[in-house]
Amino acid sequence: MSTSESTKGRVQLTVLRIIVYAILIFLAVLCLFSFYMLVINSTKSNAQLQDTFNFIPGSHFIDNLANAWTDASINIPRGLLNSFIVAGLTAVLTTYFSALTAYGIHVYNFKFKNAVFVFIMAVMMIPPQVSAVGFVQMMNNLHLTNNYLPLILPGIAAPIVFFYMKQYLESVLPMEMIEAARMDGSGEFRTFNRIVLPIMKPALAVQLIFSFVQSWNNYFIPALLLDKAEMKTVPIMIAQLRSADYSKFDMGKVYMFILLAILPVIVVYIILSKSIIKGVTAGSVKG
Amino acid sequence: MMKKKGAGLLLAGVMAVSLAACGGGGAASASSAAGSKSEAPAAESASAGDEGKVFNIYAWNEEFKGFFEKYYTVPDGVTVNWIITPSDNGAYQQKLDEALLGQADAADDDKVDLFLAEADYIQKYVDSDATQDVTALGVNDFSNTYEYTVQACTDENGVTKGVSFQCCPSALIYRRSIAEDVLGVSEPDEVQPFLDSWEKFNAAAKEAKAKGYYMTACFAETYRAFSNNAKIPWVDENNKLQFDPMIEEWIAQTDDFVANGETLTASIWDEEKNVQMFKDGKTMCFFGPAWYFNFCMGNAQDPEKGCSGDWAICEGPMAHFWGGTWLLAPAGTDNPAMVADIMNMFINDEEVCSRLVSEDSQFSNNKKVNEAFASDPDYGNAFLGGQNDVALFASMTDNIKWENHTIYDQLLNEGLQSKLQEYYKGQVDKQTALENFYKYVKETYPAIVVE
Amino acid sequence: MKEKNRQSGRKKGISYAKYGYLFILPFFAAYIIFTLAPQILTFYNAFFENYRDGLTQIGPNFVGLDNFVTLFTPDAGGVIDMLKYFGNTILLWIMGAVPQILIALMLAVFFTSYRLKIKGQQFFKTVIYMPNLIMAAAFSMLFFTLFSPVGPVNQALISSGVIEQSIDFLNIKISVRLLIALMNFLMWFGNTTILLMAGIQGIDQSLFEAAELDGAGSWQVFRKVTMPLLSPIMIYTIITALIGGLQMFDVPQVLTKGLGMPDNTSTTMVMYLNRYLQTSKNYGMAGAISVVLFIISAVLSIIVYRTLTKQYRMKGGRA
Repeated sequence: MSTSESTKGRVQLTVLRIIVYAILIFLAVLCLFSFYMLVINSTKSNAQLQDTFNFIPGSHFIDNLANAWTDASINIPRGLLNSFIVAGLTAVLTTYFSALTAYGIHVYNFKFKNAVFVFIMAVMMIPPQVSAVGFVQMMNNLHLTNNYLPLILPGIAAPIVFFYMKQYLESVLPMEMIEAARMDGSGEFRTFNRIVLPIMKPALAVQLIFSFVQSWNNYFIPALLLDKAEMKTVPIMIAQLRSADYSKFDMGKVYMFILLAILPVIVVYIILSKSIIKGVTAGSVKG
Repeated sequence: MMKKKGAGLLLAGVMAVSLAACGGGGAASASSAAGSKSEAPAAESASAGDEGKVFNIYAWNEEFKGFFEKYYTVPDGVTVNWIITPSDNGAYQQKLDEALLGQADAADDDKVDLFLAEADYIQKYVDSDATQDVTALGVNDFSNTYEYTVQACTDENGVTKGVSFQCCPSALIYRRSIAEDVLGVSEPDEVQPFLDSWEKFNAAAKEAKAKGYYMTACFAETYRAFSNNAKIPWVDENNKLQFDPMIEEWIAQTDDFVANGETLTASIWDEEKNVQMFKDGKTMCFFGPAWYFNFCMGNAQDPEKGCSGDWAICEGPMAHFWGGTWLLAPAGTDNPAMVADIMNMFINDEEVCSRLVSEDSQFSNNKKVNEAFASDPDYGNAFLGGQNDVALFASMTDNIKWENHTIYDQLLNEGLQSKLQEYYKGQVDKQTALENFYKYVKETYPAIVVE
Repeated sequence: MKEKNRQSGRKKGISYAKYGYLFILPFFAAYIIFTLAPQILTFYNAFFENYRDGLTQIGPNFVGLDNFVTLFTPDAGGVIDMLKYFGNTILLWIMGAVPQILIALMLAVFFTSYRLKIKGQQFFKTVIYMPNLIMAAAFSMLFFTLFSPVGPVNQALISSGVIEQSIDFLNIKISVRLLIALMNFLMWFGNTTILLMAGIQGIDQSLFEAAELDGAGSWQVFRKVTMPLLSPIMIYTIITALIGGLQMFDVPQVLTKGLGMPDNTSTTMVMYLNRYLQTSKNYGMAGAISVVLFIISAVLSIIVYRTLTKQYRMKGGRA
């Protein structure tokens, strides 16, 4: 290429770069602005919030925090604990059993194996809300409402996580390793638990985080099953905020509630963001 | 046999869950609505301590809990459980229904022992077998209670199923300074003649508008006044939906107010209405009982931006009540004596009722006590510029009616308001808004027949 | 477990197939108990009249297809609610998903372009992914407070002179829908970007170089090399986005308090389903809606899958 062409090319490239950065910054601002407003507003008192919005933090963070934390009708500390228990147990069950199932399909050749695989993929397509009616009815009849078991146990069957684990296994687990283990006298389950699981650590870690977050944010079905105040999880409490309640009379407290609801996930995310983002793709794209 | 690890995990999970699940008990903290802890609570009954060991109370917010803990001494050995579910969208009713329907099969410690209800849905429980006759339990002295509060919890056969600890006549709460500007006067007995009928109220609204004020901050502010005075219930004996002329009149007034800009189109609990209570708010009138101006007008009481003292109350165009909390006795409770005890205390114990008025700013359900305050020249409410609110409420109670309630009231009232609001906000025409209301009725109460 | 080892003393010739069944057993047991059985029960319910009137239980009484008839009976204005809500769901989905996928694609190309060499990628990726993790209920509640008539957005607009009176964002059809679409977009475009990036990075570099040598411009490279090879991921993305879209609930439910105002123009199918599970506990009608939702999901998934794989196969892609 001649010099003038390459200069033109370079100028074009720079212009393009500027445009790209501008778009990126715009999108970043779009993502962050609502959170910024949230944090700022949770530092202001209800009266201060009446003034025009400004970007300067107020001095009422501690007050709002104290009010929100000890609010009588929305027991956020309890909700955080409940959410943590439900999400934690669900994440463990989902991750373990998805890996187990994926291993079963990957390693063993049994009749109907392909049918089973296709079946699980098809199941993935059906919205969970379709079974909600029957599920709620069943749980009411079994007196399992206001109980965390119906929220945690279904996590054992998680098609999407299964799929992720399957893809991952395909890329990291050679059959020779299994054969070798068998030669050494290791039972099948032992092989899985002692040898394969450690190899799957990155995938396990990622799915633990994802299924934790997904369970933490779950609203529709938990709301149908949990109505005892001390059993409620965070999303149910936040949705409650939307309704008429005396709590609404202190907007500083309302913003603080929202902040407390999303803070745990954000903190975990900021600490682990690199591995989380890397993990999004680890299982979904081959090679 | 199979997956020991998996089974182990599962077991751990189940244990963890049941540990968490039997947390139960009362909520983490109780912030009393007003007043401090008392030194000498009301007397306890000996027999109440010989009953069930767990006393379950169902409510939709913490208001009563505050009073209960302040005034009632729980018998030794009895634990009180509060099961609180917010009432919006019928969630509290659903919770109650489940609990009451399962009462017979429930273990003694799980039985509902006392539950609270609001006027809008009390009838459903009063008219059913889920509640029992309180006179049989030992609550028979209703000589001091206000009549409508007894009517509300008495079923069609004349059996009384509960009591109310509050009487909630709803007053017109106005800004003194704005009234001064618009009507030229600000004292309650001077303002009342300007607002004692709907014609005058509507005329005053025009005056207010002319001076740059809003008459009301919410399109449904006057709803209760009309709906309380309806002559026919929401459904007829065939469960067919019907509109009382009073509702139609409310709609007509609101059409007028919205069209002329005399009211904001916010809903009752919206932030947009709440900010009108600050000093720079431009709204002249609000409607509400004692509990409203004492606990919901926080903005007006704000030390910096509020205007405490710049308020007063008068009867307004039409006497009515709003809300109120009834204590109902569920059938099958294993603590009947304690239930009776609690009920008797809140309606007949003069010391408790007096303190409810003087310390908690309530309008108690005891005529004698209220009259004492009403005739006390030194009693006044600072928020209302020193006005004796008890005196006004006491004078209004004779005109309050309890008639024509159905089991469907709460959601029909809420539903009509929210669907019409879309019309008032200019998003749909009135016909569509009403159509949407009918659809809402069918979705919420399939048993109602809608044309 | 040890017992098993001793039993299967002879390693050679043993079929390990039965382990396959054992390993997948928990998944299927949980699926049958918690998903399949309830699904069948749901569909069963659809043929019964079953609701509460006050404290009285009405039904279950067999009514055949009555619930479906009610569901598809036009109202006074000639509108069939079920179809209206289906339309809302799809519209809200498109409003969010189209920008989501297009912008994600664009960003993925920018980030992976070796010519542009965008710096600070880690920061941008972290930021755009974050909304994906936020509880939809909290996000909506936040937007509800921010966009209320006396909220910060209106305050800022008024004080800067852009408008004179507050805009009632939450009661105007177009703004409610835009807010929902915006939230959906923000929550998902980061995730899609990263997925597509990985997809692009999975494409053999030599193909790009070969195309460049042949004199292809960036746009041509994009159309002829990137897009076709990205097809599998795109299909995956669109299908998962569609399935998620059909289930849309949290965001519009919390933003509009379940009302979908104004005039139910933001009511989605699952919100409609949810209504029947509240006061009236109308399992009959809820069941009917679930059946319809199931059929719609299945049909749409098949259509999308077939269309996209057909296109892809026609272009000679490999499975």
